[in-house]
Amino acid sequence: MRYSVRLAVIGFSFMAMFAILVLRLWFVQVAEGAAIAQEAQELAWQTRKYEAPRGDIYDRSGKLVVTSRYVPAVEVDRTFIPIAQRDELIQRLSAILGIPAAELDEMYEAAGINGRFTVGTVSVDTAFELARSLEDLPGVDIIKVPERVYLAGPDLAHVTGHLGLPTAQDLEKNPDLDPNVRIGKLGVEAVYDEYLRGEPGIFEYRVARGEIIEAKPEIPPKIGDSVYLSLDLQLQEVVSRALVDGIELSNEVKAANLARGEEVYSETKRAAAVVLHAQTGEVLALASVPTFDPQQFVSGLDQETFDRLRESQAFNNLAVSGLYPPASTFKAITYTAAEQFQFPFPQDVEGVDPENRIVHCDGTLELPSLADGSPQEKSDWYDGDKGWLDLHGALEQSCNIYFWSVALGVWQNRNSMNVNALQDFARDLGYGQPTGIDLTGEAAGVIPTPELFEQWKEYQLENPNSAPRLDPSRLELASPFLGGDLMDLAIGQGALTATPLQVAVSYAALVNGGDVLRPAVVRSVVDSSGEVTYEHQPEIVREVDIDPAVRRSLLTDLGRVVSAGTARAAFEDFGEGVEEVGGKTGTGQTSPNRDNHAWFVGVAPLSNPEYVVVVLIDEGGSGGQVAAPVARHILQYLFGNEPTPIVEGEDAD
Amino acid sequence: MATIARAAREAVSERRGNRPDWVLFATMVVLAIFGLVMIYSATRSSGTFSMERQMIFVAAGIVLYLVASMIDYREYRALIPYIYGVVVVLLIAVFFFPERNGAQRWIELGPFDLQPAEVAKIVVVLGLASILSPQNRDDVRPDLTWSKIGLVILTVALPAGLIYQQPDLGTMLVFVFVMMAMLFAAGASWRQLLTLVGAGTAITVVLFRIGAIADYQLNRIRVLVDPTVDPQGIGYNLAQSKLAIGSGQLLGRGLFKGTQTNFHYVPEQETDFIFTAVAEQLGFVGGVVVLFAYMILIWRILVIAANARDRFGALIAIGVAATFMFHIFINIGMTMGITPVTGLPLPFLSLGGSAFMSLAFALGIVNSIWLRRSPVPGEQYVV
Repeated sequence: MRYSVRLAVIGFSFMAMFAILVLRLWFVQVAEGAAIAQEAQELAWQTRKYEAPRGDIYDRSGKLVVTSRYVPAVEVDRTFIPIAQRDELIQRLSAILGIPAAELDEMYEAAGINGRFTVGTVSVDTAFELARSLEDLPGVDIIKVPERVYLAGPDLAHVTGHLGLPTAQDLEKNPDLDPNVRIGKLGVEAVYDEYLRGEPGIFEYRVARGEIIEAKPEIPPKIGDSVYLSLDLQLQEVVSRALVDGIELSNEVKAANLARGEEVYSETKRAAAVVLHAQTGEVLALASVPTFDPQQFVSGLDQETFDRLRESQAFNNLAVSGLYPPASTFKAITYTAAEQFQFPFPQDVEGVDPENRIVHCDGTLELPSLADGSPQEKSDWYDGDKGWLDLHGALEQSCNIYFWSVALGVWQNRNSMNVNALQDFARDLGYGQPTGIDLTGEAAGVIPTPELFEQWKEYQLENPNSAPRLDPSRLELASPFLGGDLMDLAIGQGALTATPLQVAVSYAALVNGGDVLRPAVVRSVVDSSGEVTYEHQPEIVREVDIDPAVRRSLLTDLGRVVSAGTARAAFEDFGEGVEEVGGKTGTGQTSPNRDNHAWFVGVAPLSNPEYVVVVLIDEGGSGGQVAAPVARHILQYLFGNEPTPIVEGEDAD
Repeated sequence: MATIARAAREAVSERRGNRPDWVLFATMVVLAIFGLVMIYSATRSSGTFSMERQMIFVAAGIVLYLVASMIDYREYRALIPYIYGVVVVLLIAVFFFPERNGAQRWIELGPFDLQPAEVAKIVVVLGLASILSPQNRDDVRPDLTWSKIGLVILTVALPAGLIYQQPDLGTMLVFVFVMMAMLFAAGASWRQLLTLVGAGTAITVVLFRIGAIADYQLNRIRVLVDPTVDPQGIGYNLAQSKLAIGSGQLLGRGLFKGTQTNFHYVPEQETDFIFTAVAEQLGFVGGVVVLFAYMILIWRILVIAANARDRFGALIAIGVAATFMFHIFINIGMTMGITPVTGLPLPFLSLGGSAFMSLAFALGIVNSIWLRRSPVPGEQYVV
């Protein structure tokens, strides 16, 4: 090859190299230029968010019960960390913070390229120690993060709730959530999360080679709205203590019963109470024992403690999620229905006088022979003879035979009247459905009807391995709902279940003239500038027709329960105003090998009912003996009387 | 008429001697002044210090160009062994000076830091041209024997090895590129060239295997395929540079208005990444004008290589052209993400004294070759 040709080859090669450069320049600047320019604009700005302090929670009297404070936390921003210094930085941080390097390493990788992560909150001492070394720790910063403080502690835990990191489901439902910022998981924290959350502060800036070179004005975080509860912290504390004392009393009674050779199945551990305003539906107190300290979710809860608490049902708000047979407390509903609708009395039953609507409460009800094979004889809870009682006496003495007779009358006339008349009335009063309270985890309960039993039967036949709801003998019947089931319902037993809150709402409706209210724990929400962003208005879910005469009669008879009936002993020491207190005891039978649930529902003042107090001692024994004294203690407080110690009442249903 | 005119012009030309290559000189000066503007644009936030410093280098470079133009390039031939020796000593000397940015490349001379590697580029070109051209008047068409090629490789390997130790992979690659271009121009057969390429590949593979190539150097190649490698380091530079150039689009954001470059997203934008500033601020049009100026420069040097009086001069010109070409291609390619990131400056634009003055001197030698070509157009003494 001649020299000149070789020179030409070199020349062409060089020109080709220029051509490559020009083509590439064209591609980057003109062909793709617009897209790249757009990308440059977007990539340039970094956004960081500052978690807003959640709003405060106050009680009815304006007492602060939950608040937020700032605590130091350590943050690592990978944008500012030269790759060569990464490992050394993690080692040093690990030494200062006492966190294993492997853990920090994982967080670092999880944050991603140019990512940022918060190592966690640290003590003030650690923050100071770290502050001295910040100079040599690029990308590490001490920031302030809001932390929740539960001033009322365990007493209000089921109402205030607690916080936790959003789950995958939470994030799917609300993509705006920051996966690193805790949200309300329970109670008011969860239901009013949107109000309490506030808005995060935003800082947008540009970083080049580890330095901020331009920043937009910082938008400070907007603190969440303040929530004002309808609950009164002081009353709540009285209720919580009373429940604990009630549990203690129950165990004392059980010990004595055991000593007498009676059957006792378990230690009493759980209880719940609701104090509801009968006219507005505002919840004045709502407690569930055992409880937990929501602060533990802030400082970190180890798995063992968490499991132990969960097993003890400490996270369950039994007042809204616990389902129990309402037992004799339900007699007030049967009472009202029987009077309101003038249910027919059964004919041809020994000890029942249909003309005068009176029943002989002698301890046993012998039933006429029934084609469907229902039990032919039913025994009442008491020994001896209480004589012939009318409706008023039957409620006062909690005579089962009377209310069985009412159900039997309906059952005998089921072809000429609505067999579900009592069930429909109960449903109207709020049984069998959530009350709609502004709390989480509410249960619906069950109202037994022939239709429901049909469904259960079908389900049970299709799924023979599932837990049975009906006795196997029922599955052979064409219609599995029997007269005995309606009789059980009339005294609040059988398949009927309800939450303490549902019982409270139904009583409120019975005594306020028929307004079924949606109960609420929050009165109002106020934002940081003082503007009211939510205000609770009493909400009537349903108006139930109740004859004023029936209502007055019921109130009088509830008063007789306290003055002369099953709760008389428990209310002996009530003090002033006892004539204005009414109520109903209840002793709920569950399965054969379990202790009874003790109930008491108090209503006061009788002349113009304001308070409904429901006390439930889960497997606590007799309502008159254990639950009524607890309710009496709470009502004493509400009446301004010095609450007297919770001591045993009469062992009555 | 035309014939008479040409004869007259040739007579005048012969009488007055050859004229210098004004295009070459003008292109260099235009690029240097443009470089000053861009350096100012890139560093003005911290004052005019960098630009003023570069002005001194430009002035010194022009003086060196003129000096080199006046010296007969053939005079260097006898001196080459001595200059080569001095350069090797200087390349060793850098290891006695403190490290900067993880490298030892500089000899501190008070106000000015000398980078011997920049000088070595020119000296190696001279050395190779000397080896590959006829040694005396009888040696008209020397064969390119394997022993000569061996001598060429040795001449390159010593400084290249020292520079690799600094470490400076980019400059080492300049030597390889220039050597191949000069061997090809000097008449190496395809077999010889392919053997060299094969051997080079084999050595590279061995170096990889024994781990003699540092991780960060590997990353510079990996990052071309996968920009997520080393995102805070080399990947960052690249990504930001590409974003800056891309946002320049057709006409640029306007001089001094490059947000990406002026906010210092792009690192080293007054030195290695100066083309990024050009492309962002002056757009595709500005970038092409710069590339066109370099094309003129390369074209002029190759014309001089074609018209050199002897093979020595021709090979020097080709070596200088290859040096410029490689710097331009690698540097600009790097800013656009098609060549590895190395520390090679962009000739006459990048801030830096040693590079500017060495390249200006090299261009002066090329001008000297032009001035001493045959006064008779088209005639060459050595073919």
